[in-house]
Amino acid sequence: MVTHSLVSVVDDDESVRESLPDLLKEFGFAVQAFSSAEEFLASDCIEQTRCLILDIAMPGMSGPDLQLELTQRGQDIPVVFITAHGDDTVRPRLLRQGAVECLFKPFSDTALLAALNAALHAD
Amino acid sequence: MTANELDHQVAQRTSELAAANEELKKEIAERKSAEARLRHEEMELRRSEARKAAILDSALDCIVTIDHEGNITEFNPAAERTFGYRRAEVMGKNLADVIIPPSLREQHLKGFARYLATNEAHVLGLRIETTGMHADGTLFPVELAVTRIPLDEPPSFTGFLRDITERRWAEEELRRSETFLAETRRLSSTGGFSKRIATGEIRWSAEIYEMFELDPAEPLTLERILTRVHPEDIHSFNEMLDRQERGVDYEHDYRLLMPDQSVKYLHVVAHASCDQNGELEYYAAVQDVTQRRLAEAALAKVRSELAHLTRVTSLGAMTASIAHEVNQPLAGIITNASTCLRMLAADPPNVAGARETARRTIRDGNRASDVITRLRALFGRKEATVETVDLNEAAREVITLSLSELHRHRVVLRQEFADDLPPVMGDRIQLQQVILNLLLNASDAMSTIDDRPRRLMIRTERDEDDHVRLMVQDVGIGFDPQSVNRIFEAFYTTKNGGMGIGLSVSRSIIESHRGRLWAAPNDGPGATFAFSLPRQSGGVIRASSHDGGWTSAVTDTPQISRQP
Repeated sequence: MVTHSLVSVVDDDESVRESLPDLLKEFGFAVQAFSSAEEFLASDCIEQTRCLILDIAMPGMSGPDLQLELTQRGQDIPVVFITAHGDDTVRPRLLRQGAVECLFKPFSDTALLAALNAALHAD
Repeated sequence: MTANELDHQVAQRTSELAAANEELKKEIAERKSAEARLRHEEMELRRSEARKAAILDSALDCIVTIDHEGNITEFNPAAERTFGYRRAEVMGKNLADVIIPPSLREQHLKGFARYLATNEAHVLGLRIETTGMHADGTLFPVELAVTRIPLDEPPSFTGFLRDITERRWAEEELRRSETFLAETRRLSSTGGFSKRIATGEIRWSAEIYEMFELDPAEPLTLERILTRVHPEDIHSFNEMLDRQERGVDYEHDYRLLMPDQSVKYLHVVAHASCDQNGELEYYAAVQDVTQRRLAEAALAKVRSELAHLTRVTSLGAMTASIAHEVNQPLAGIITNASTCLRMLAADPPNVAGARETARRTIRDGNRASDVITRLRALFGRKEATVETVDLNEAAREVITLSLSELHRHRVVLRQEFADDLPPVMGDRIQLQQVILNLLLNASDAMSTIDDRPRRLMIRTERDEDDHVRLMVQDVGIGFDPQSVNRIFEAFYTTKNGGMGIGLSVSRSIIESHRGRLWAAPNDGPGATFAFSLPRQSGGVIRASSHDGGWTSAVTDTPQISRQP
């Protein structure tokens, strides 16, 4: 396990921003949480982020929009999408577009850990 | 001849002369008296003639006399006016040829001949109604009385005639008016009553006796009436009696409970006036609105079912949104619980961290529970209730539930809620249903818009006439102004998969709240849907509950013109 790699969480839901970082810290990661794509883009964490846990539907810029923006900026950060919209058609499309994983809320800690390991391994 | 003889002869002659002279004097006196009597009689006759002429001339009725051959011997000015002939034109002419219509002439001549032959009269001394003919040939109804002039031999007759066209017309009008009134009362199930307040004397029309199923033969008393008033409406009935004492106009809705336990709904509109003696008297129309109430109740039920159907339809449309609302807290719960277990499994266990994550688990559990509660309130089957509703609060709740759905459709929502918005009275869930419907429609209308931000504005504000308005504005595909009325029709839809009942149900909900729902194209792209509701103080609102929202109530009505 890679220790202290920075995982950034971008989700407009406050309880996710509250609970997910604690779990990620238990996994041994360093964590930063952002309430919107715009906030993340404005931060100085992009360079250090080893994995991005990204909500799909958010007011303003959506998760996939952010992924596209990062790709265009040449920032090739592995992305694990999380979504509360359990739409089966969404996952294959996102995986095709380069996402490491797409987890439907609620997801288990093991599923999350597996996705993170895959993301960091790919890195 | 002796002197004595001569004297005797002279004396005798003198005496004879004297006697003759006396006779002559007497005769002269008698003749004078006879002449005087004759002069007096002549004068009397002239006076009588003058009186008769005056009567003939000034009589309001036509007076026509005929001799035994039916020829006209008198034709007074009233007859001239009525029949259009000059007296001189008709004098001596046969009556049958002048004022009797051709169709009645034979009958007249036969009757006349029969009378002369047998003295058998069918018309003499009677007041009959027949038809007369004007000089211009027009026919008109006349009233006729014929008398035989006493003394005259051969017989002659006087006819008194009167044109009764106007009376007939008035009678016909009265009859029509009465029929009209009776028919109207029957058709509208309306009865009338009057009540003198000082004496308590009440008069009912036949319809009210039928409504109350009381015997018109028995005396009408308040006690008898009260035996029929529904026990639950006695209070409003007494309130109505108080109003009568005060002499104000009123409307009154109350129910009757009949001996067979059936219920009748009555609507009364009453007007107070004063009679010639200044006594207060009420005139009122009473309508049996039972059928209407039942129809309204049935309509309310259908509306409620439709509203439910719409809600269920919206529920389908919102499944993803609802899943999102529930999955968010579930994600929190599972993440927190996982974290909690890991903290407890650590060596040493992180008890403080575990306690915090457990606390968050409970909080997220409650959050999920709240979502379910809101969903059940909005989509569950529930009787309509009337309560004070803050439209801002109601709209915010709906927005909370639909926000993620709106976000999913990339809708940018702007909220402009008036701070000082007065509350309205109504069924909160039904009103929220309308708001939800307007929001989802607006979102749908923008689902194909990609060349501009999908802006949706929801705004509340005070409206004129003590109303409160809520409007939802989108920048979507809009609608054809020509179909503005059709979009409110049931089963009219422009959406794939839409049932087309949302707007029609929404409008019926708003109208049952005495409000108005309308749509208008924007100056720019898109459309604006808005509704306006009377604020709370605007009187009793009848929400669409299953009995049609009926309440027994007496209300004052504006005083209409009062008799002096």
